[in-house]
Amino acid sequence: MSSAQLSNGPNRFASILLILPSLAIIGVLFIYPLGFSVASAFFETGQFSFENFAKAIDFYSRDIVFTVVIVFLATAIIAVLSVCIAGYLTLGESVLAVAVLKWLYRWPLFIPFIVSAQLMRTFLAKNGMMNNILIEAGVMEPLQAVSFLDWRGIVITFVWKQTPFVVLLVAGAMAALDRTTIEAARNLGASKLRILIQIVVPQVGTTLMVGLILSYVTIMSVLSVPMMINAQTPTMLTVDMAWRINSYGDYGVANALGIISYLITGIVAWFYLRQGLKEGGAPK
Amino acid sequence: MHKFTINVAALTALAFAGTAVQAEDRVLNVASGGSENMVEYVTDYLGPLFEEQNPGVKVKVIGTGPGDAGSQKILEKLEAQRAAGDEEWDIDVVVGNQLKVAEMVEDGLLASYRDNIETGKMVTRDTADSALGVDVSGYVMPMFHSQTALAYNSDLIQDPPSSYDELKSWTEKHPGLFGYNGIKNGMSGLAFVVGWVYAYGGDPAVLQSGPYDQGVASSWSGALGDLKSFNENITFTPGNAGTLDMLNRGEIVMGPVWVDMFYTWQADGRIPPSLKLQLLSPGMPGQPYYYAVPEKAQDADLAQKFIELATSPAVQAEGIVNRFNWYPGIDAKHVKDSLDPAVWEKLFSDVTPDELAANGKPFPIAPYFTDIKEAYEQQVSN
Repeated sequence: MSSAQLSNGPNRFASILLILPSLAIIGVLFIYPLGFSVASAFFETGQFSFENFAKAIDFYSRDIVFTVVIVFLATAIIAVLSVCIAGYLTLGESVLAVAVLKWLYRWPLFIPFIVSAQLMRTFLAKNGMMNNILIEAGVMEPLQAVSFLDWRGIVITFVWKQTPFVVLLVAGAMAALDRTTIEAARNLGASKLRILIQIVVPQVGTTLMVGLILSYVTIMSVLSVPMMINAQTPTMLTVDMAWRINSYGDYGVANALGIISYLITGIVAWFYLRQGLKEGGAPK
Repeated sequence: MHKFTINVAALTALAFAGTAVQAEDRVLNVASGGSENMVEYVTDYLGPLFEEQNPGVKVKVIGTGPGDAGSQKILEKLEAQRAAGDEEWDIDVVVGNQLKVAEMVEDGLLASYRDNIETGKMVTRDTADSALGVDVSGYVMPMFHSQTALAYNSDLIQDPPSSYDELKSWTEKHPGLFGYNGIKNGMSGLAFVVGWVYAYGGDPAVLQSGPYDQGVASSWSGALGDLKSFNENITFTPGNAGTLDMLNRGEIVMGPVWVDMFYTWQADGRIPPSLKLQLLSPGMPGQPYYYAVPEKAQDADLAQKFIELATSPAVQAEGIVNRFNWYPGIDAKHVKDSLDPAVWEKLFSDVTPDELAANGKPFPIAPYFTDIKEAYEQQVSN
């Protein structure tokens, strides 16, 4: 059937009917709230103004920078770790080690963010489990113990929670690679690290990017982790949004902050779409 | 085979009987905008007591979470039901904090009921008539009063600071050992900041009872500048519970906490007995939680009956003071008689009634409250 036939007569009607449910869901659950929050951010006082944005910047400029830094840092660490783990799963020679790693690495996937945050709260505290273990093991003096419940705690939690997700995607892509390229490099005497960096990673680059972008967007949207782990200021934008609404009933500034986070995620979404278009067709 | 059929028939009959009984039940929906312990108060104590006294009534409680956020959810639900034009709203009793209940009264979402119930005459504190500057007289009954105070480790500190001034110099000598939870992570930290503004930001009486003047906020810059340098010498804690956790683990030795949480945790063994309380002068704020009835509650009569029981001297003594360590919502003189003197004294052992009267302050009126929070965000944290 040619495409001309598709766009004619009852067939076309049927295809519109087919996509109608998903369009309606996107319209009602995404486009409408998005439009609503944009309108509320700009028109809260009745006429168009940047007042809410001015206030958002005045009050939360440090938090905006903090959020961007945390998200990029966490994503970068996830990238390194997931390549290492997926690489070992693909190239590792010890059957036992690969099996154990395969079994272990997925666990954080099944733990919700709020539970991870609670775990980290007792694990990373000054007199928490991590420091106690280090002190008991004689690695550290009790007086050297510091609390990690600040920006480091947030990054650690996000990395711990999101790395398995990226590994899952990347290891899948690596397993599907044509192994002859790896074998060829190995026959010519390349080290495992070199094979990973020069042969394997370039071939799974797109999958890695997609995994990282999805992690980035997820991290941007998490409220519980910064709320429970980071007691200090600056903090992440989600906390500020919740605070504006709950404490002041101020949806205008909260929505302005929301739009600022849309912009921060919008940048990577643009890369994501562009990558898809370059490859011809829908983004993976 | 026969036996099986009979059994099935019997079971089916039972099941039907069950639904028939359920259909006759009157359900009282209680929405509680408080912490877990406030939900437990209804599920474990007050609800069963009310059901026992009123056969055929089922008390259902939903917890919407603590702080402004929890009460805001109730407010939004009532607003939505009104906007949808519903004739009957599915919340009968609201348990909410001062700020949001005051907003509900202003929005006309609540019914005036206090004069209809017996216990209405037993309230004497001014918070029953005025919530952060809003006239709520008739619309609310205080469920309990709670107070913030400074908790400290008496093993390490024999002579704790008794005022904000003394605390300031103490933290300079002992950096990092005092902790509070900022303003976004729970009310105990916010209360500490409000107390700071009462101490250094001009006349607290104006902040607590008005009149409101927009210009006052600009006079706080000195006080907030000092608070910013004070913050250099302290540890931030993750939330109300976070402060208690850190005290328990010995990571800090002093911090502002809610008195009721403090006593409850101590009774549960979650913090050591060596922790004690001190109320800083010139004053730290406390707040009541309110019982209220929505304007179009499904079963307003039952709701009033429920609140009447909840604010009766016997329940206030056993439930509020003895089991949950709150200060009573109705006048203490009605409650004291129904209580074991030992229990009464435990509640007032660290903070005496005189100290409480002198240094237990209300939160500021709503517009000043907002100003304090925004000024802190702008000048201290950003």
